[in-house]
Amino acid sequence: MITVGIDIGSVATKTLILKDNNILSTALGPTKADPNLAAELTMEEVLRNASLSRDDIAYVVSTGYGRRTIGFGDKAVTEITANARGSTFLGCPYGSIGTIIDLGGQDSKVISLEDDCIVDFVMNDKCSAGTGRFLEVMAHILGVDLEELGELSLKSKNPVKLNSTCTVFAESEIISLIAQRKGREDIIAGLHETIARKLAGMVRQLGIREAIFFSGGGAKNPGIRKALENELGVRLYVPKEPEFVTALGAALIASEFSSKSK
Amino acid sequence: MLQKIREFIKSLYETGYEEEAKRKYGIRKILREEKEGELERRLLEEGERNFRLMKKTPRPKGMKYYDDVIKGKRIKEIESFDGMVIGYFCNLVPEELIYASGALPVRLCSGFYDTINVSEELLPKDICPLIKSSFGFTVSNLPYSKFCNLIVIPTSCDGKKKLAEVLSNYLPVWTLDLPNTKSTKSKESWFVEVKILKKKIEKLTGAKITNKKLKESIELLHKRTQVFRRFYELRKKSVVTGSDALLVVQTSFYDDINRWIQKTEELCDELEENENKSDVRLLLTGSPIIWPNYKLLNIIEEHALIVVDELCSGTQHLYDPVVVDEYTTNGMLKAMAERYFSPSTCPCFTSSDDRIDRLLQMVDDFKVHGVIYYVLRLCQLYDLEAQKVRQILKGKRIPMIKIQTDYSQEDVEQIRTRIEAFLEMTKTKKKL
Repeated sequence: MITVGIDIGSVATKTLILKDNNILSTALGPTKADPNLAAELTMEEVLRNASLSRDDIAYVVSTGYGRRTIGFGDKAVTEITANARGSTFLGCPYGSIGTIIDLGGQDSKVISLEDDCIVDFVMNDKCSAGTGRFLEVMAHILGVDLEELGELSLKSKNPVKLNSTCTVFAESEIISLIAQRKGREDIIAGLHETIARKLAGMVRQLGIREAIFFSGGGAKNPGIRKALENELGVRLYVPKEPEFVTALGAALIASEFSSKSK
Repeated sequence: MLQKIREFIKSLYETGYEEEAKRKYGIRKILREEKEGELERRLLEEGERNFRLMKKTPRPKGMKYYDDVIKGKRIKEIESFDGMVIGYFCNLVPEELIYASGALPVRLCSGFYDTINVSEELLPKDICPLIKSSFGFTVSNLPYSKFCNLIVIPTSCDGKKKLAEVLSNYLPVWTLDLPNTKSTKSKESWFVEVKILKKKIEKLTGAKITNKKLKESIELLHKRTQVFRRFYELRKKSVVTGSDALLVVQTSFYDDINRWIQKTEELCDELEENENKSDVRLLLTGSPIIWPNYKLLNIIEEHALIVVDELCSGTQHLYDPVVVDEYTTNGMLKAMAERYFSPSTCPCFTSSDDRIDRLLQMVDDFKVHGVIYYVLRLCQLYDLEAQKVRQILKGKRIPMIKIQTDYSQEDVEQIRTRIEAFLEMTKTKKKL
């Protein structure tokens, strides 16, 4: 059975094709102002890569911020449920997953699991404090690519202590740090520590339950991962392609619904 | 003690409050008269938007009456009412006293977003939306506050304490000094407050609150409690949505009490015949939700049913009766003071034990699957109690989600994601 999971995030849309629990292809594109278009484009891409057509797809589940806006989904589920499904499917070499930390573009979330079932979760407040969007803005001010941040921060010997996770306030804080000639690596490392503190606070709110699985686009940044491990004192597991975990979960849920509806 | 009370009441007369008020408020200051029509139009629009969203699930026919009242059917009646109109905030002001004096009580807590802007010109931004909205509402001369001859405000939270003071620059305000604990000493002092309020109302209306009138108004409100309890019991059968239930309570804030009682009996008759709605059953608690700010209710009830609420703007407003031991004036006043004080689960009291007991009782009685804990941004008291409630519910394996928001619409999608995820989690857990 072939199913598709589409995760329409505030920054990126991730689409994935699944055949009998094997990933056939993945695609990622910017969501921008038109979630439906982003879904269409990534859908075409995954189909092309897997040499399939729409008729081959048994079921489509959409998730993420734009889950209700697309025109061709069979069902919509929230990213919390989809993420948990994807994470528990991938599993963790350090033991069964107790906590998932997901750092996305607009939302950061922490999910608490018991026997692979969600028992509790928290999400950040309505602003983008300490999310991927926050890093994107800061990278822009510092004149580096988002992807470079992680490697650069690892070179820091003396991370700057930042006070704000608010995107607007942090922006002015960074500008003044640049004026004080603080090293770029140290500023970036400081930013990562700020995000890590905020995420760790959310984890502690639910109680630290090991093993911890780290997903979302933010998990690709080794600087954040290191800062978060330091903050929590626990090793984190980051899967391959952490940005597709939620889309994978959606595709898995699609398989379940498809077999149920037959 | 008694002597002291007498002296105090006497001194109150001597200050000549009425004269002072007349001098001070002879001409009521009104802000933004030019915007009056505009705000009233927006208020109706907000209401209509709620009705559209509420219509997604079939509503009982009997709800039409409540819809009409909330749309303003009552405004003309109060406008042409001969006697005094006494406005109040919170659910701690004895309505029996107001009815016994022949005046009409109206509760003024506001859920209207647009008057926040009015308020922010005069008050700081970083205070709770309910205070901002209510202040803006009152000074914008909107119904029902524009009919009030007096506004009674208990010193519950910090916002209400200062709301009383800032509002007193615009119209006569009477503050009820609410103690922060439920000790014997506190109860005594609250009883004195109620007695002083009686004098105050008598002075304002010029009517003597006699033993007979007091008894009649207690009995009238008993009837209201009785029908409300019938309605409350019916909610256990999940035959009505949480938003309709709140609308039922909130129309009692201003509608003619006899009509409300009769219409609510009729609604109950209709609900007896209704089919059970099989859904995720939720308990709603936290900061007050007041018409037309039904944002959260509308999101939740797209997928689930709020079978019961513990809100001061909902169940708490009507649930408890005045229980009289002896029908002397003092006995009745004492019972009245007790009814508004002891059962209160407002977090402005230092201990949250009463509130937690009530919540756990509701969880059992209504067999709820999950709890929604609503916090108005900057409502610190409800926010501070959330962690303890969460821990205790966790021990009972009842999931809880805290939603923190204000009166604006900007975070609707984010709230939707949280609520839907919470419901998906609850359904999986309960294998629904």
